[in-house]
Amino acid sequence: MTQPDTGYRKYLQPRTLARISALDLRARLIVEGLMAGMHRSPYQGISVEFAQHRPYVPGDDIRHVDWKVFGKTDKIYLKQYLEETNLHLICVVDASESMAYGSIAEESFSWSKYDHATAIAASLSYMAVRQQDAAGLAIFDNELRKFFKPSNSPGQWKLITRELTLVPRQKKTNTGRVLEQLAEKLTHRSLVVLLSDFFDDLDSLQKGLRHLRYRKHEVMAFQILDPMEVDFSFNDVTLFKGLEGGGELVTEPRSLRQGYLAELAEFTRLLKQMCRGMHIDFTRMNSGEPLDVSLSAFLATRSASIT
Amino acid sequence: MKPIFLVIEMSAMVFISPAFFWAGALLMAAPILIHIINRRRFKRVDWAAMDFLLRAMKRNRRRLRFEQILLLATRCSLLLLLGLALARPLGCSQSSLAQLAAARTGLHVLVIDNSYPMAYQTDRPGAPTQLDQAKALAKEILSRLSSGGESVAIVTASRPARAVIATPSYDLHEAEAVIDRIEQSYADTDEAGALTAARDIATAATDQPNKNLYLIDNSRRAAWERDPDDLRRTAAQLATIFKAGITHFNVGTPGQWNDAVVDLHAAQPLVTDRFATDFVADVRGYGTEAADAKVNWTVDGQPMNAGTLADHIGPDASPITFTLSSLAGGIHVITAAVAGGDNLKIDDTRARVVNVVSQLKVLIVEGERGIGGLGSSGAFLDIALNPAGATDRNSDSCVATERISDLELGDKILSDYRCICLCGVGQIQEQEAADLEKFVRQGGTLMVFMGDPVTAENYNATLLKHHLLPGPLTRRVTTGADQPPMHFAFDPNGVLHPLLADFRGHDDTGMEAAEIYTYWQVDLPPDSKVERVLDFLPPPGSKTDARDPAITVHSLGSGRVVFYATSADPNSEWTTFMAHQAYPALMHMLVLGTVGGGDEWLNVTVGQSITIPPDVKLTTAPRLRDADQADYPLQQTADEDGQTIYRSAPMRKPGIYSLSTGVDTYRIAVNVPSDDADVRMLDDAGLKKALGDIDLRLEGDSLPAETAQIQPEKDLGWSVMAAVFLLVASECFMAMKFGHDRKT
Repeated sequence: MTQPDTGYRKYLQPRTLARISALDLRARLIVEGLMAGMHRSPYQGISVEFAQHRPYVPGDDIRHVDWKVFGKTDKIYLKQYLEETNLHLICVVDASESMAYGSIAEESFSWSKYDHATAIAASLSYMAVRQQDAAGLAIFDNELRKFFKPSNSPGQWKLITRELTLVPRQKKTNTGRVLEQLAEKLTHRSLVVLLSDFFDDLDSLQKGLRHLRYRKHEVMAFQILDPMEVDFSFNDVTLFKGLEGGGELVTEPRSLRQGYLAELAEFTRLLKQMCRGMHIDFTRMNSGEPLDVSLSAFLATRSASIT
Repeated sequence: MKPIFLVIEMSAMVFISPAFFWAGALLMAAPILIHIINRRRFKRVDWAAMDFLLRAMKRNRRRLRFEQILLLATRCSLLLLLGLALARPLGCSQSSLAQLAAARTGLHVLVIDNSYPMAYQTDRPGAPTQLDQAKALAKEILSRLSSGGESVAIVTASRPARAVIATPSYDLHEAEAVIDRIEQSYADTDEAGALTAARDIATAATDQPNKNLYLIDNSRRAAWERDPDDLRRTAAQLATIFKAGITHFNVGTPGQWNDAVVDLHAAQPLVTDRFATDFVADVRGYGTEAADAKVNWTVDGQPMNAGTLADHIGPDASPITFTLSSLAGGIHVITAAVAGGDNLKIDDTRARVVNVVSQLKVLIVEGERGIGGLGSSGAFLDIALNPAGATDRNSDSCVATERISDLELGDKILSDYRCICLCGVGQIQEQEAADLEKFVRQGGTLMVFMGDPVTAENYNATLLKHHLLPGPLTRRVTTGADQPPMHFAFDPNGVLHPLLADFRGHDDTGMEAAEIYTYWQVDLPPDSKVERVLDFLPPPGSKTDARDPAITVHSLGSGRVVFYATSADPNSEWTTFMAHQAYPALMHMLVLGTVGGGDEWLNVTVGQSITIPPDVKLTTAPRLRDADQADYPLQQTADEDGQTIYRSAPMRKPGIYSLSTGVDTYRIAVNVPSDDADVRMLDDAGLKKALGDIDLRLEGDSLPAETAQIQPEKDLGWSVMAAVFLLVASECFMAMKFGHDRKT
């Protein structure tokens, strides 16, 4: 059951975010909204180095209770960690033509997969910069179009959001080669967040990811799909014109729905299997769903993996 | 079943509404057209996950194409079958297709004779009369029909033939109720009218090609040999319309016979209280050997004697005369009843209402008024008709004459007279001619005699215009002083007009010796219905044998007009016929033979209306009651002259009715028609011949077992409709499961 869009959550709806043209403002809304919903600091989850104990107060997460201290003193203390300052976050955003697809559109706005990807990238970068981590950006299609080394300078986030706004989306994808190029460029161990629909050759992609992992980079894969791509709920006879030169097909979509969904499921299964084999976190995001769901899942996953 | 045989059977099918089949065949193209149109009408979507779509398409191409063709074929078949179902195909009874459906269809038109001879009593249990048997038979036919698929129309054949169910009804129970409500009529049979009604019903029922006609009567020749040309013509049309068959059921009784009084009248047109009157009853026997029969007479309900014996009555006229010596003036009812043991009683008795008068009033209008007893142009006619004077009760004549000049004609109330004679009247005014026409139309007799004053131009402009002359007066024919006279073409032993019947065989009448010197030639139109009573021999020296009419008579309304081409004036130089002894006799014959008794409107038959003449005095609204003293409606209407008259609806039952006018009470005799008394049956060949030898199935008085097998052809409409429903369900299922697609 979907939650009602009340309070802060309405700012996390794609339809709401789509009306806000400034990407930096979008990212702030996402992060602040996320924080208000979680009622706890998101920054603690990313750092890993212990700092001190503090007394437990009602409302604290009991997962951070130091049970050893409790066993010795019968007092409840929480472990607190120092903010990590040397985390390098690289958001790798797919800017190919296929990412331009978006079924969420009205007269005054539209929301494509790329919009969704850039909102996530900007949000993650914002969170990183806010806790003094270094944030970087890579934008690609069949080539690595833009690359900004991770930096924790105050202007880095502005730079990132501006670039995400400007990059055109007209080319085909070649994710594998781009990842290999990226692996060569990254000298510091980094957290690579890959935002793409992954409509690409799996073998090439696997090669690229393997290269990143070989260089000891932490990789998180976000597959961003449009709601129509997920459930293929077309009714009328439709001419599908393939982006990135995929050909054309006139069909009665209802007759082909099951076949399409089966193909998509098989592709996703292979993609997941590949990621799991390389210890890469894989998350499929629906661009029609609120972003907090995706980001919360991401943070929870990261937190669990760190703990 | 192999498809090729199915196609052959379909092509041999008959459809109730073939237009639906062709509409379905045309609509079959609709899904294909929609499919083609849809190929050109689609949404355009830029699609990222094209590889998945193409791979799905590649894997499912065959299945999708099969589903697409299957769905298209289903939709096309659906429309074709829907048209086929609405067209309601009929398969022949041997058809394997027909075996798929048990429902029958068809129109059944029943013509039931309910005329008065169908009241013939029978000894069948539960059916006292032949009409009862006919109704039972009709209901048995209905009981074998298929409810909902077969419709019924019913026509009754008594005059006037009437469709009691004119619009074919599928409610068989209601049709049975209608049959129960068919009443015994007392009218004669109108088979031609009934067949025409059946034809019209079947022609209008275009949705039922499978039509059956059932004729139920007692095969009387009187019914089937009437209007032969009409019957044959209509029967030929019926044969083309009722393709499923025409069946005749004879509910007559073998050897049925009937004695009847078919006519009763006074021997003389005028019944007076001065002389004895002969009444003649025409008694006939049909269907038996000629035998004696006793006829009982009554006057005003009182038996007159022990009855008269009719010798050897048979189908030919057998007049029985009964003389009534003394009847008081006024209305009397005379009845004659044949005492027979036949089974059709209704026509055994016939009644006649007579208006007994004291004298016959004749108005003689003279164009020339002479001095002295015989100086006027109508004097000899007056003497001839009333030799002893009107007031002499011992006179041999019942005629009372009154002579006036032509100038007085406009002052007279013409309806006070039975006969008006124009004797050499020179000029007839337009109004006088109109009044005379009205007088004749209401039953009076007009006799027109020529004479010197007569002017052809005036007569042709007035009397001829009002139909009071047999034709235009064209030429005055006169013999020269040195030429021999002309004579009547009279042969007492030759063919004589009925008005001259009393002269038959009398060689001493002097008619042939009468000398005529002048007469007016009248030109009879070729299509004239004027009767030539007597002609002139061609004038001496004539080159031709053409004979000019001397005396003619023609009917006009209820009265008659007698034209006498020469003069009645003894003082003229036209003829010396008045000196012959035959002259008074001839004048009596002409007057008495043409005047009416004034009681014709008091004697009607079933089916006719009673019309009260305008000269009947009314002081209140007239009231007509039947023999049971039940009121019978009279309607007020206007005659041709705009005068108010009262007329009843057609009489439905025979009997003695009474009419109260406020002044008098009249009795009116209503008899059954005499035409249908002949109950002798036609044999099969005669019946077929009467119907023009059409294909006719002849049955008896009950429904034979094989008739039950006369099944209409099978209606496959519901079976095909069931297939339609099945296809609709399949189409819905398939449309839900499938779609249609195409790679461009």
